[in-house]
Amino acid sequence: MFFWKRAKGEQPKTRDLDRLSTSLETNLKWLRSNLFADDDTIVYRRFKTKEPTRQCVLIHANNMTKHEFLSDYIVRPLMISSLPRELHGQRLIQHITEQVIQSDGATVFSSYEKLAEGVVAGAGAVLVEGCNLGISVDAQGWEKRSVTEPQTESVVRGPRQGFTEDLGVNVSLVRRKILSPELKVRMMDVGLQTRTKVAIMYVEGIAPKELVDEVFQRIERIETDAILESGYIEEFIRDSPNCPFPTIGHTERPDRVAGKILEGRVAVLVDGTPFALTMPFLFVEAFQANEDYFHHWMVASFHRTLRYISFFLTTSTPGLYLALVTHHPQLIPMSLSISIAAARKNVPFPAMVEVIAMGLVFEILREGGVRLPKPVGQAISIVGAIVLGEAAVGASLVSAPMIIVVGVTGVAGFVVSKLNDTAVLIRILLVFTSAVLGLYGFLFGIMGIMVQLASMESFGIPYLSSLTSLTIQGSKDTVIRLPWWRMVLRPRHLAPKNRERLHRQSRSKTK
Amino acid sequence: MKKDLARVFFLCAVTLLTTGCWDYTEIELRDFVVGAGVDAVEPKVIVITEMAKSTGTGQEAEFRPVVLTTEARSLTSGAHNLANPSGMEIFWAHAQVFLVSEEVAQGGMLTILEPIIRARDLRSTMYLLVAKDCTVEEVFKSKPPLLTGVSQHLTSIIRLSAISADFVPQQLWQFTGDLAAPGISATLPAVELVHEGGNLMPVVRGAAVFKLDRMIGWLSKEETQILALLKGESEGGFFVMDTEIKGNTTAITYEFRGSQLKTKPIVDGERVEMKVSLSLQLGVAGTRGADVDFSDPAVVRGVEEQVARYFTRRIRDFLRLIQEDYNSDILGFGRLLWRREPATWRKIESDWDAVFRGLPVDVEVDCRIAFTGFRAQPIKMRN
Repeated sequence: MFFWKRAKGEQPKTRDLDRLSTSLETNLKWLRSNLFADDDTIVYRRFKTKEPTRQCVLIHANNMTKHEFLSDYIVRPLMISSLPRELHGQRLIQHITEQVIQSDGATVFSSYEKLAEGVVAGAGAVLVEGCNLGISVDAQGWEKRSVTEPQTESVVRGPRQGFTEDLGVNVSLVRRKILSPELKVRMMDVGLQTRTKVAIMYVEGIAPKELVDEVFQRIERIETDAILESGYIEEFIRDSPNCPFPTIGHTERPDRVAGKILEGRVAVLVDGTPFALTMPFLFVEAFQANEDYFHHWMVASFHRTLRYISFFLTTSTPGLYLALVTHHPQLIPMSLSISIAAARKNVPFPAMVEVIAMGLVFEILREGGVRLPKPVGQAISIVGAIVLGEAAVGASLVSAPMIIVVGVTGVAGFVVSKLNDTAVLIRILLVFTSAVLGLYGFLFGIMGIMVQLASMESFGIPYLSSLTSLTIQGSKDTVIRLPWWRMVLRPRHLAPKNRERLHRQSRSKTK
Repeated sequence: MKKDLARVFFLCAVTLLTTGCWDYTEIELRDFVVGAGVDAVEPKVIVITEMAKSTGTGQEAEFRPVVLTTEARSLTSGAHNLANPSGMEIFWAHAQVFLVSEEVAQGGMLTILEPIIRARDLRSTMYLLVAKDCTVEEVFKSKPPLLTGVSQHLTSIIRLSAISADFVPQQLWQFTGDLAAPGISATLPAVELVHEGGNLMPVVRGAAVFKLDRMIGWLSKEETQILALLKGESEGGFFVMDTEIKGNTTAITYEFRGSQLKTKPIVDGERVEMKVSLSLQLGVAGTRGADVDFSDPAVVRGVEEQVARYFTRRIRDFLRLIQEDYNSDILGFGRLLWRREPATWRKIESDWDAVFRGLPVDVEVDCRIAFTGFRAQPIKMRN
């Protein structure tokens, strides 16, 4: 195919073949032998107009177009119309575009490259005998998944809409939430081969212009041949690419995207995936759920607090257990330390090996269960819970307290699903530092992580900002969430110029 | 990237090189000492330890107290010798009680306490006790009826001190503090063995009186009640007093429901005097069914006056005991002078023992019946 050849370095003989010929047969021959050679999905539909008869061809890719549309609005009007004999070339094409073809999207092209671009993207291309121009008519039509509730971000209360794989549908889902002309959607093509459509969405006047420009520039700089998922883009444009903490958010939910861009963020939607990117992404966002904003603020604050505690538990429990048991038994209540000693009595491995081995087994079980079909996945978890846990304790391979530690670690990890994979790495780091130096090492590890987090940025905004904020207004949507009528201003870093979110009039009404 | 690697390497190097506490020991390879004591110092130190050994694993695990005794030139070496019979690393940080025999207490506590305070893994919150009329080894080998282990038994009794005025608990840091502070002498609670169902069982009651670090005598359970009251550490407990109401004498049980203590030095030129005012709130716990009507204000007033007189007498007796017989300032009158009247204290400090012996103490007790239980009137039987 055309792109293949270019990618391989075989440039087409541009000078004489890049432009369409006036001869329809020459054009078709060239298309069949070069541009669309060995591609059986390309349909060449020949037909004639009324007197004075002119040969026409409709070229389109099978299953990428709406067949009825092509027949009703392109082929039929052309067949039943008679094109004036005196019209030729550009004027003829103009006449067809303006008076014959009944479609809202029609562009005139003059090169093979444009023809191919349109056809592979689902347009119908019309060539007419005697013209070195063609018409590309938008007729995209392919199978789409319907809008359903996303699997990864289900809610108890809240909209049940999720993005699909179709960019147009996704953009419309967000647009329907923000019915304002300030919402801007700008399209780009990324990927030399895939030509993936990317939509950049933001609200003008709230999102700082520098941020929008920065996102544009970063995406423009991407030079790769394929973008198959938004994760590709995320990895190309993110800050601190070597740190496992996410600096770009992703979501499957239009309401989330709408909420983020209304705070001054920029969203990037990618064709072919239901996952949209939002940036900048701060540490606190990993602990926020959209449901927080639908529930009573006290309930929401409690849930947020739970998430922070869970994050601490999932990262620190094995490390703390190891530090206390092997280095500082005096910090465990006496009866507990004696019962841990009793439980570990016949275990042949050191506590450190036990912690690492059980952590590994847990991660294997999780990884095994995630990508399996649901019924098999359940079998894995049963095997994991009953056979490995119960039998391992029974066989004195691990101690019972260790099973509790692994259980707490695992369950707490699922509470903070956005940081779950990051938490695994932190956990391993803390286990090693604690095993070597006890609590001293544990704190050393925590300090190292804090230094790293504090030095990170996401699109120019400090990663820990608002969590470390000392102002009341800055802390209103962090560990706690205050009611909406208290959140008068938008986050300071995100929307520095247009901060007022609650208008004075409504503010006084709420009081 | 190179910079990051260098940073990680630097962190690891700092972590590993600048510390000297590599203390990784598997928990099951440790033996937990839960209580210890010393029976003799000369010619050799006899160290008794109670350890919690576990038998069985997992859910069937049980704790069995094991008492080990060693003899050595010093307390520290004796403690180290325990590793041999135990076969494990001895872990001291969970020790909760430390007992000394009467003989050791009379010989001076400092020889024993100095290495304990110096040791890094013993806690200063350990409770100190003196074994009365028995050896420490006998205490540790006695059989508490319900709990496993003597140390656990003693600790749970001591935790009850808030509702029992039979003893005044002392932790290691309090005792050593009293040794160093000016104008106060220390006391320690006493452990006795009593017969209980064919076994000997340890009980905590009474107190040992110290002068500096040497023990000089005992206080009985009743005297210790007064000690607790005058130290302001009594919050509960009961006492029975023969009370005269309308010509009849009845033994009524009273309950301590609170007390306020004010001790004040009065200096008038060369003359030093202490003023102790104690205000008691009592509850009536029982009258043995006698016909006493507490809804009658006159009865209540009469009872209050009698209790006040009763305590005034007991406090005077107690003061005579510690001033004249023991001549040991366990109530800290000297410390009070040092705090409130430093100029006077500096003058009499060197001669405090003699001053304390003849120190006039003005005792004033005020009593109030605050609560009579769920009844104020007597239960009347039909004729």
